[in-house]
Amino acid sequence: MGHGNQFVDQPNMDPKLVSKGFKFGVALAVIGLGAAFAGLATESKEQFFYSWLVAGMTFTTISLGCLFIVLIHHITGAMWSTAVRRLAENIAAALPYMALLMLPVLFIGMHDLYHWTHGDAVAKDAILQSKSGYLNTVFFSVRTVLYFALWIVIARFYRKYSVKQDATGDVAYTFKMRWWAPLSILAYALSVSYAGFDWIMSLDPHWFSTMFGVIIFAGGMVSGFATLGLYGLWLTKNGTLKNTINEWHFHDCAKLMWGFVIFWTYTSFSQYFLIWYGNIAEETAWYYVRMHHGWERIGILVILGHFALPFWVLLSRHMKRSRYAFALVAAWMIFMHYVDLYYMAMPNLHHGFHPSWMDLACFVGIGGVFLAAVMRVSGKDAIVAHRDPQLHASLNYDNF
Amino acid sequence: MAAQSKNAASVFPPPLVAGNHTFTSVTETVCGVVEKKPNVNWLLALMLSASIMAVLGGSVAYLFWEGTGIWGLNNPVGWGWAIVNFVFWVGIGHAGTLISAILFLFRQKWRTAINRFAEAMTIFAVICALVFPGIHVGRVWAAYWMLPLPNQMGMWPNFRSPLLWDVFAVSTYFTVSLIFWYVGLIPDLATLRDRAKGKIGYWAYGLFAVGWRGAASHWNNYERAYLLFAGLATPLVLSVHTIVSFDFAVSIIPGWHTTIFPPYFVAGAIFSGFAMVCTLAVPCRKLFGLEDFMTVRHIENMNKVILLTGTLVGYAYSTEFFIAWYSGSVYEGFAFVNRAFGPFAWAYWIMISCNVITPQFFWSKKIRTSMAWTFVMSIFVNIGMWFERFVIVATLHRDYTPSAWGYYTPTIFDISTFIGSFGLFFFLFILFLKFLPAIAIAEIKAVMPQADPHWEGYHKHEESTHG
Repeated sequence: MGHGNQFVDQPNMDPKLVSKGFKFGVALAVIGLGAAFAGLATESKEQFFYSWLVAGMTFTTISLGCLFIVLIHHITGAMWSTAVRRLAENIAAALPYMALLMLPVLFIGMHDLYHWTHGDAVAKDAILQSKSGYLNTVFFSVRTVLYFALWIVIARFYRKYSVKQDATGDVAYTFKMRWWAPLSILAYALSVSYAGFDWIMSLDPHWFSTMFGVIIFAGGMVSGFATLGLYGLWLTKNGTLKNTINEWHFHDCAKLMWGFVIFWTYTSFSQYFLIWYGNIAEETAWYYVRMHHGWERIGILVILGHFALPFWVLLSRHMKRSRYAFALVAAWMIFMHYVDLYYMAMPNLHHGFHPSWMDLACFVGIGGVFLAAVMRVSGKDAIVAHRDPQLHASLNYDNF
Repeated sequence: MAAQSKNAASVFPPPLVAGNHTFTSVTETVCGVVEKKPNVNWLLALMLSASIMAVLGGSVAYLFWEGTGIWGLNNPVGWGWAIVNFVFWVGIGHAGTLISAILFLFRQKWRTAINRFAEAMTIFAVICALVFPGIHVGRVWAAYWMLPLPNQMGMWPNFRSPLLWDVFAVSTYFTVSLIFWYVGLIPDLATLRDRAKGKIGYWAYGLFAVGWRGAASHWNNYERAYLLFAGLATPLVLSVHTIVSFDFAVSIIPGWHTTIFPPYFVAGAIFSGFAMVCTLAVPCRKLFGLEDFMTVRHIENMNKVILLTGTLVGYAYSTEFFIAWYSGSVYEGFAFVNRAFGPFAWAYWIMISCNVITPQFFWSKKIRTSMAWTFVMSIFVNIGMWFERFVIVATLHRDYTPSAWGYYTPTIFDISTFIGSFGLFFFLFILFLKFLPAIAIAEIKAVMPQADPHWEGYHKHEESTHG
């Protein structure tokens, strides 16, 4: 440790590259969101809100996945991830923008999204009445605001002190960030699970699963590592940090993404399997809808695309270390994360599989905002924690 | 607030081997434990555990003679201590495989000092666990029916039952853990063979060292085999307790049928396993002078894992409780309220106190680096995890029909069988400590500061010889 490679790259991104990425994001956002709003003329309001929710959830959970990567780095005192940590911090910094996109839709669209907001339906339904202490508009809104507030505070805290360390190199910042990591993870775990219960699970207010929050978390982690990897690959391809992020860092991102693919499969399969085996109507109803009228094809796509394909393609070390293979699978996993969330949410709107161009518009638009947000923060400060005392060890990291 | 140290080097953890050891002194220290004549304390401990093991033998013999009626099983509570003890011991086993396989894949080099020790614990814990399904069947002469043996009667076990999957999962786990442990032992067995003074030692260690000479080709094969075993053992860590959780969760009994069971059981298993490693490691490192290898850092790391997994278990308890209410199902809701406030509330609150509250003490660095605290806390966690399984099983005492409600009280034979299983466990463990190296000698040398060719000690050495 402490020998060999030195940090020789420019610590900042080339402004031209930033502006290229930012403009591309803005263009996508304008096209996508423009199309989504224009589409309100022909498509239903419900379709608009559902499409928006699924796309918003996709990119929110990606940011959350990267926030967790930052927290894991600090709680474990990891060394290898120092070279890519700022990238994860930047992706997590998109959370305020995600809040700006999600909050209005959750509030304005609440009545169109969530059946339990319909007073007349609740009045006729004993089960919904029993839940009304939790599932009511006021408490739901308070929780929604709290989740985002909490995530934004954690994300800002970790980026702020990380950037401060760029100026002074003071090791005290490292200790400060480490000190807060366990508490942040505690708050994170609870808020992400309950956000999953609230925003996605309660779309079908009768159905329940204790595993649900864990699945939402696992999906976000897969896409978090995928996005982090793609971001790093794009930067190094354009000459930024090309001597800093090496094949070992990409290899680890690929390994961890692959590991979380298995974890996602484990949690998703366990949920399905226990409900199938138990075979009681109050639980199977959820899967019944998702196994008929065309949804079964999406279900098979999720099994093959979110598990079988990445599992077999990235099983070999050779493929994990191939930048092209990793980039392709990572991009595919982000798409599959979207499909997975789509499969959870959309059958509540459409009894049969019914794709809408609104889905595409929202995905492109919110993805564009996400990209522009990440580019904006990337241009603001150094793109690597270049005075972190662990960077040197990270540059010389290998795993023979 | 954190220590405001200005020293940049303090972000790196302390070295994995303390003291001023050389490669020779590592071998001497670890082999010394094996090679010295057994002392009186060791013999006393062995005899004590053998006596307790005899209690197990006696209880099992009486069970075979008399039948499962000697246990406290009754009509609503058809599953009693046998399954509680089975899950308890299997769970303990998980830490060993987590340390040896998963931490290996995560390149956590601190695992080297404790992996041998923890893997031995795994194997002995799984042996204890396997006793219970073996003896609980009533007609023990038909216990082999648990295995899918071809036969002319056309009698097959029920392949749709997770209890049968348990037979496959646990036996696979035992086999793979044993081979993995043995493969890791080979270089050290060769060391003991080469150092053996007597004929028996030379022959016995030599037989199991399978001709190891430490050639580069041997090491190459060894490292590949080790990595492969780590890859194979990793899914087993998850699968075994996942299937154990299926034993409960595939049924539609309120309080058992909940989708978070698989990861919740795995987290609980790792939690109890690490506690047992700490229970054993704290006295052993002291008694056998292994403090330079199992350092405070190792104990602290394990306590952090205990804090993490204990909190995960707490997360699962709270989610279960919340969803039981949220589901709107009166039966689910009742099962949980009854656990917390019904006749078995005492067991429930022991579980919560030991599993959720106890590990929270480890937020304090002072407590998690204190050997005395670690030992006491680890005992509490062991107690708590036994009670967790008891609470789950005791949920049976109030089912859908109030007229069938009852209570569960163990008999003296339930208790003696369980206590006796500790005798078996410690008997095996005490033998292990005396006859096999408790620390992976070859592996730990690779993580010593001296193993780094750029170690500053070498510079000093050169300066003093050339200067």
